[in-house]
Amino acid sequence: MRPRIVVIRSLAFAALLGTVACASMHVQTYVPRGANVRQYHTYAWAPAGAFETGDPRLDNNTLFIERLQSAVERQLARKGWAPVQAKEADVVVHFHARVDQRLDLAEKPGSGRPAEDSRGGPQVYDAGTLLLDFVEARSNTLLWRGWAEGSVDGVIDNQAWMNERIDAAVERILAAFP
Amino acid sequence: MRWTWTGRWTGVVLVVSMVGLGGCAARRVSAHVDPRADFTQFETFDWGPADALPAGDPRLDADGFFQDHMQGAVERQMLLKGYQRAAVGATPDVRIHFHAVIRERLDVDALDARRGVCSGHDCGPGVTQFEEGTLLVDVMDSRTNRLVWRGWAQDSVGDALENHDTLARRIEQGVQGLMKALPGRK
Repeated sequence: MRPRIVVIRSLAFAALLGTVACASMHVQTYVPRGANVRQYHTYAWAPAGAFETGDPRLDNNTLFIERLQSAVERQLARKGWAPVQAKEADVVVHFHARVDQRLDLAEKPGSGRPAEDSRGGPQVYDAGTLLLDFVEARSNTLLWRGWAEGSVDGVIDNQAWMNERIDAAVERILAAFP
Repeated sequence: MRWTWTGRWTGVVLVVSMVGLGGCAARRVSAHVDPRADFTQFETFDWGPADALPAGDPRLDADGFFQDHMQGAVERQMLLKGYQRAAVGATPDVRIHFHAVIRERLDVDALDARRGVCSGHDCGPGVTQFEEGTLLVDVMDSRTNRLVWRGWAQDSVGDALENHDTLARRIEQGVQGLMKALPGRK
C-alpha cells in the first residue's frame, strides 16, 4: 500500500527554493491512506519522553517544550479541538524537534554549476525540523503528520526570535489540519 | 555526524583539524529564561544531583578536573550575583545543574584566502571542521522542580581538551560570560 503524500508549499516560499534563503520554511503534511482525523475532536499530549534534539541547548529544555506545546494548543483550540485527560482522548499528539548542521554549497539554481560570485560559496547553517504526529488513541495508528523545516541559524540564541519561529512553524504546520 | 565532500567546488579548501587557527566560530553566550519566574524569590542555591548529568565527553569525565573547575566557576558567579549557598541540610531555593557537550561542527572561513593559505584566482572561503564545546548551566526552582533559567557558552575547544590550564581558563571565561544573563540579587 503506497501512502498518499500531500505536499503543501506556499508560493512565496516555493520561489525561494534552491537558494540559501535563511528565513524560509518548508511545510509538509502526510496523511496515510484511509486515515480520517476529521471524525475526532479531543486530544492529549503523549507522555513526555526524553528525546535527542541534536542541539545541547534544546535537549531537556522545558522552556522550549512548553512554548511549543502552548503554540500547538492555541492552534488546536482555534480549530475546535479540546484537550482532555489521556484516557479520554481520541487522539494522542506527539512532537519531535531536531537541529542539524548543514553544509550548503550555494550552487546557482538551474545552472548545475557552482556559484562563483562573491555571495556564493559554501555556507553552514543550522537546519531545524519540527514535527507533529496525531495518533489514534484506540489503535495507536498515525492519522496525520505535519512538519516544518528551515534554517534556525542564530534563532536558539535569541529566545524571543525562537518563540516567534515556533509560533510561525506551528501555525503553518497546522494550517492544513482539519 | 559525518559529512562527505564532493570536491566539485574547486576553490574550497577543506581544512580539517585547524582548531583555533582558522577563525573558528567565536564564543557565543546566551540564555533562555522562564518569563513567569520571579527571581526575587530566590536567595539560596545548591547543586543538583552530581550523577544526574555526565560531563558529556569522556575526555572531561576522565578526572574530576572539569567538574571541580566548573562548580567553582559557577559558585563564584552565583556569590557575585548575591545568591548564597544553602546551609547544609536546608532546602535551597534553586538547584543548579551543569554539563558540557562536545561535538564536531563545520565553519566557513573566508579569511583563509586573504591570509594566503591558498593562492590563485579560484581561491575561495574554506570549510573548517572543529570541536565545539557547549557549557550549560540549568537553574531549577527546587519547589516546583521546574527549569527557570538555562544559560550556555559555545566555543571551539580542541586545544582546551589537551591542556588543563587552557581548559580551566576557558571554563572560567565561559561561565563568566553565560552567567551575566542570570538575573542577580544586587
